[in-house]
Amino acid sequence: MFHQSVVGLKRYPIDGALLTTVGRKTEITNLLANLPRLGAGLAYREPFRQELLQRQPEVDFVEVIGDHYLDAPPERMDELEQLREHFTLLPHFTNLSLGSAEGIDPVYLEKIAQLIRRLNPPWWSEHIGFTHAGGVNLGHPAPLPFTKEAVDLMTKNIITARRAIATPLILENVCSPLIWPGAEMDEPAFIGEVLTSGGCGMLLDVTNLLTHATNGGGAPADFLARLPLERVVQVHFSGGHESKGRLIESHAQPVSEAVWQLLDAAVARAPVRCICLERDDNLPPLPEVLWEVERARALGRQHRRWN
Amino acid sequence: MELALQQKLVARLVTDRAFREKFFADPARVAASEGLTVAAESLAQIQPEQVRLLTRVHRRRRLAQAGMQLPLTRKALGARFADLFRNYAVTPPPGKHPFEDALGFAAYLAANAGPPTLEHAWMGSLVRYEAAHLAATWQRKKFIGRVFPHAIGQLVELLATGEVPVGEYRRTTLAIWWRSSNRARLKHWRL
Repeated sequence: MFHQSVVGLKRYPIDGALLTTVGRKTEITNLLANLPRLGAGLAYREPFRQELLQRQPEVDFVEVIGDHYLDAPPERMDELEQLREHFTLLPHFTNLSLGSAEGIDPVYLEKIAQLIRRLNPPWWSEHIGFTHAGGVNLGHPAPLPFTKEAVDLMTKNIITARRAIATPLILENVCSPLIWPGAEMDEPAFIGEVLTSGGCGMLLDVTNLLTHATNGGGAPADFLARLPLERVVQVHFSGGHESKGRLIESHAQPVSEAVWQLLDAAVARAPVRCICLERDDNLPPLPEVLWEVERARALGRQHRRWN
Repeated sequence: MELALQQKLVARLVTDRAFREKFFADPARVAASEGLTVAAESLAQIQPEQVRLLTRVHRRRRLAQAGMQLPLTRKALGARFADLFRNYAVTPPPGKHPFEDALGFAAYLAANAGPPTLEHAWMGSLVRYEAAHLAATWQRKKFIGRVFPHAIGQLVELLATGEVPVGEYRRTTLAIWWRSSNRARLKHWRL
């Protein structure tokens, strides 16, 4: 279904280098290298629906929150079908809880598998974190301790998920001010371990990275440099704001220049397949959102990630 | 096993205000009482400020989801929507799906209808109307009928155009949601 040109591969030395490695890593990076180059798109928000359909040529793909379409009523599935007729859809999930020490819910996993079979996307995404523990639902992924034990449990859950769903899985870095005591490694190393042992691509959220690194007193560029950039398939970016000296990734403001700069650095170095704008709140008119999508598309073009 | 208990403790710290206050009064004792042995001392080192900030991150995400599920209520309440959600979200979301949290918030608003929570009487009707719509949509109930003492149709139209309703809007509205089967499309009437 998705075409990857040989010319495209030759243009990106990092892909070629990965293809020469051996073993399991080769198998996975080959898989990532052959994913389609989609361009720039946005995370779907219902108020934009009608106008979005009319402005289809300006959006290369649409990301949908997959959890919102599990056990959904027929009218909601009609909406999804209408989107699917117009766009490549990328399902993004928050509630599978791949970092749960108690394992993942097999019923929830099967529902995700059914939705993915229906959408036939090039990949699907979740988070490096947990949303459920001991019957408590967090509603949004929380961070894991940066330990070998946490890497092992993520790997076990990822393998369970990948057995149920053949479509490539990519995982997103979460933004959390909480650092668990007893860390055995730092966050970039932890992310690298999880992705390598789980055989996954990365969904790099540059706003999460900027917020997390800046609030922690670190340098975002250093954090970025230590990530396994060769695994980045998709990038999330969004606007936030500052409050009491801290950055807040609210997804409610225009994208700041600091985010654009970090996005530029990421796209320059990672073989990204697509860039996705997230805007959840304080929604402006769609043309303002699409202007940011177009700027991201141009950035990908400038770094020869797509034509 | 220990990590599962640690995650449960962190999940409760982030979502349950009463538990958070109890924990930070005596972290090592509470961690031990939760069954944590090896990690009790380690978890006692969790910084209260970091947990407070993580709580805000999670509440903001829940708020954004609730706003998507209750767009009319959000428009009607304006900035008060976030303030009231902060009062509501001191316990974990009631379920995995955002509509369950939105229904929980709507129930909180309806239970506290009237000043100072909801300054106009029509706001209570609007919240109950939107909650009924959400329940009919997601819980796939075959039939829901509700009577409201306010002009719901007029309020919906005004809010859709971005106007903030001013006045009493007293007029009885009968609202019906119906689907013939679990797989049928929802039909809705306002009379």
